[in-house]
Parts: sequence; C-alpha cells; structure tokens
Amino acid sequence: MATRVITIIGFAALILALFVLEFLARRKDSRIPTLGDWLGYVMRPKAGRLLILLGWLWLGWHYFSR
Amino acid sequence: MAADDVPRWPSVPRQQAPRRWRFGRPALLPRQPSRRLRNSVLRKAAVGAGLIAYSWFAAGTRPFTISALLIVLVPGAALFVIAYVRPPRRIPPPDRLDLTGFSYWAIAVGVLFEWEASAFKDGAPSWHPALTTLIDPALGTRPVKAAGILIWLVAGWALVRR
Repeated sequence: MATRVITIIGFAALILALFVLEFLARRKDSRIPTLGDWLGYVMRPKAGRLLILLGWLWLGWHYFSR
Repeated sequence: MAADDVPRWPSVPRQQAPRRWRFGRPALLPRQPSRRLRNSVLRKAAVGAGLIAYSWFAAGTRPFTISALLIVLVPGAALFVIAYVRPPRRIPPPDRLDLTGFSYWAIAVGVLFEWEASAFKDGAPSWHPALTTLIDPALGTRPVKAAGILIWLVAGWALVRR
C-alpha cells in the first residue's frame, strides 16, 4: 500500500512541477520557455510537427477510445 | 525631408475624411470594427458550443467500439487536414531556446515518462499503478470524460496554431 501511495505522490509531484514551470516561464524576463514556446520550437520542422500531432492523436486514442 | 511627398492632414479632402472629423464633433468609434468584434464573439461562442456538444456526445460512446475509435479519428483527421492543407495564422515560434531554461522542462517531462514507464514495465499492478490506471476510473463518468475530450480538442487546435 505504501508503494502505491509513493507512486501516486510521485505522479502528483511531477504534474505539479509542470504547472510550476509554466507559471515560472510566464514571469517577465524568465529564461524558461513556456510550454507553447518550446512546443512551437520543436514543431518548426515538418517532422517535429508531425510527431507532436501524432502524439496528440495517440493521447486521444489511449484515453478516450480504449 | 524624406516625408515631403506625404500629404499632410489639412490637405486631405473633406469628403474622404472619416465621419468623426466632420463638424468638429468628438471622435466616435467607427462602426465596422464593433460589428466585426460582435461577429467574432458570436463565431467563437458557436464553435465553443459545438465543441462542448461534440465532447458530450463523444463521452457517451463505449470504449473498444468502432464509434469510440471514430470520435478520436474524425477530429484527428480534420485537424491534420487543417494543419497541412489550410493552416491557420500561426503564432510565430521563438528563433532559439535558452538551453538552461529548456532543460528544466526536459528533466520534468523525462522523469514523468520514466515514472510511467517503470509502472508500465511492472504491468501496472495496484501497488505500482501507471498514470493511465489512475485516470481511467475518473474517465468512467460522462462529465469528466467529456471535459477531458474538450481539453484534448482545444489542445489539438492550440498545437495546430503553433
């Protein structure tokens, strides 16, 4: 049971970290890019764009079709 | 001067001047932009209502059925067509990323994937559940699933604009 709780706390902490990073990135003069900024950067080449869109499609299939 | 050939304000003919100049009345807002704004708001409201209706309908499908597959494939195909055939005006990406700043994201996302992979490798038992195992029960209720689908659709549109 303790292992399960540790796993859940780990997921919660990591997801919280993503929100904190986004918050920090939106501060003025922050060196951290926002989620949109770095995704946009990754999506500049066509291959990156395709991979990110396929990842989005996979997420939808994984969580809503199955 | 470089701007000598540019007509100055007093030389603009009276008929061509905007209405707010005539008769020395205080400036009025032009009518067209407000109508355009209203149309834009109406269009956004209609699209929003359509997305909510679609999400609610999609959340009612049973998992592992053809209809459950279609509710993902149809918007997916539509978004791919929009992205590659008729892309909307994109938000310009940055020319470069600060490597140190980006490394925080890379570490957080990498550890999240590792945490998920370790649970997946163990077969996601109850003592070491995967994220999917934890989220699935919540997605069993229709309102939560509809909200999830709505977030997924909006995220897809945000990605196409990037």
